[in-house]
Amino acid sequence: MNLAAMVGMPGEALRVPRSEWRDALTDALRAAFAYHHEKNAFYRAQCGELTPADVVNYEDLHRIPLLPVGMFKQAGSHVLLTAGLADIDTEIRSTGTGGVPSVARRDALTTTRASVGILGGYRDFFGISKGAGLFLCPSTAEVPEMGMVKVFNLMTAMLDDHRYLVRDYSFDPEESLAYLRRWEGTMTRHIIGPPFIVARFMRYLELESIPVRLDPDSMIIMLGGWKQYTGRSISREEFNEKAERFLGVQRPRIRDMYGMIESNMLAIECEHHRKHVPPWCYVSIRDITDPAVELEPGKTGGIAILDALNTSYPGFLLSDDVGEVDESECPCGRTGQTVRFRRRRQGAELGCCAVSIEKYLDSHEIVAECDLADAPMGR
Amino acid sequence: MPRFSPEVIDHFTNPRNCGRLAAADVTAFVGNPVCGDQILLTARVRDDEISEVTFEAFGCSAALAVASILTEQLDGMALADVAVLNPDRVADWAGGLSPDQRHVAVLGGDVARRLAENHRDGVNDEAPVAGG
Repeated sequence: MNLAAMVGMPGEALRVPRSEWRDALTDALRAAFAYHHEKNAFYRAQCGELTPADVVNYEDLHRIPLLPVGMFKQAGSHVLLTAGLADIDTEIRSTGTGGVPSVARRDALTTTRASVGILGGYRDFFGISKGAGLFLCPSTAEVPEMGMVKVFNLMTAMLDDHRYLVRDYSFDPEESLAYLRRWEGTMTRHIIGPPFIVARFMRYLELESIPVRLDPDSMIIMLGGWKQYTGRSISREEFNEKAERFLGVQRPRIRDMYGMIESNMLAIECEHHRKHVPPWCYVSIRDITDPAVELEPGKTGGIAILDALNTSYPGFLLSDDVGEVDESECPCGRTGQTVRFRRRRQGAELGCCAVSIEKYLDSHEIVAECDLADAPMGR
Repeated sequence: MPRFSPEVIDHFTNPRNCGRLAAADVTAFVGNPVCGDQILLTARVRDDEISEVTFEAFGCSAALAVASILTEQLDGMALADVAVLNPDRVADWAGGLSPDQRHVAVLGGDVARRLAENHRDGVNDEAPVAGG
């Protein structure tokens, strides 16, 4: 199985025997390492004496040098590029609480591979080919370079109708409810968005005592993390319970995803709520105090991602996230790794697209409340 | 049409006048709160003309390139001219910007005019962020 097959048919690639998966992934990552080692002088300098010939087996993958993801925020991040700027097709960004955007630049080949691979993942994990999507996030027209929205937007290709319900950084739950009612009885309705806005919508339904029963095949699909910009976390268990109660969506059909804009790894949850690493990526867990040390599956440490499909820059990244990887068999039948995000690394800013949206939603609501408070009587 | 002009490619790949001047006469910062693009200019002024200017910038490639282009174009320019700089002129300096990059011309014009206004008013902006 080569990289094109992994990207084109991720569902099949995730079901090959474990030994075949390991060999194919090792070949793909070795080739990617060789590509960047040859064409990227900055990266080659980080490699020291290590060459692609030193990466022979699956057990050698952790030796591929990593780039700290914070480098994408630095002035001078152009040195990360293996492709020239003239070849760059898309720029995707994420802004966290610190305010400095992280910008990932993808060339045409990487953009094509990532788009095809993610769409294939959606088909494999969600099996959606029709229906209506209530997107509780801004549209790509409003935030054209926001990574989370770009990833969500690919899903519209599988739907018959969709609406984005965050506009001008405000969210109207009544309008969301109106769309769900408009589609009722004609299309299977799905809700897509970051957990905190879906939670807001469910809170609205709860406060207003409005019962909504979505359809038997409805799904709730999320990305963006469970920690709010205030630092408060949303409980997944509580969320699932409310989704069953207020939307009528059963737990196996509530799915979360994990990714970061600098990587082409989008780990999608199966019905058993394990997030599967796509076949073109290897997740390596590193000792927090010494990132050169790889920890065995099950141990908690820094999440590093090695991505074989990136030709625009070396997709070998040490993230600011902490979590675990699991290589045990999943009851869903997929092989490979699953990843679990725990928290951000100590000292790392809380940074993602969802946090950025939430922060602005709240700031606009505060402004709106102030307007009302300051308004003269009788206005 | 290529996504990036030769001028943008050149300045993105080989940025000029990076960093902050140690003893600047004026500092201006403008950031786009939605997309996160931001440019900080520090400058020295002699006889109502900019005599030296440097930048720090974060964001998309066009923003980084325009910040670098600004430092070359503003050097030696009269503050009175900087005070009325418009986005069209910035876009021309950048060799043209595609519609999705147009916000960068606005950002560039804004930060240049703010530099002139800050000097006139005797104020300096604190850069709210410091990149790594």
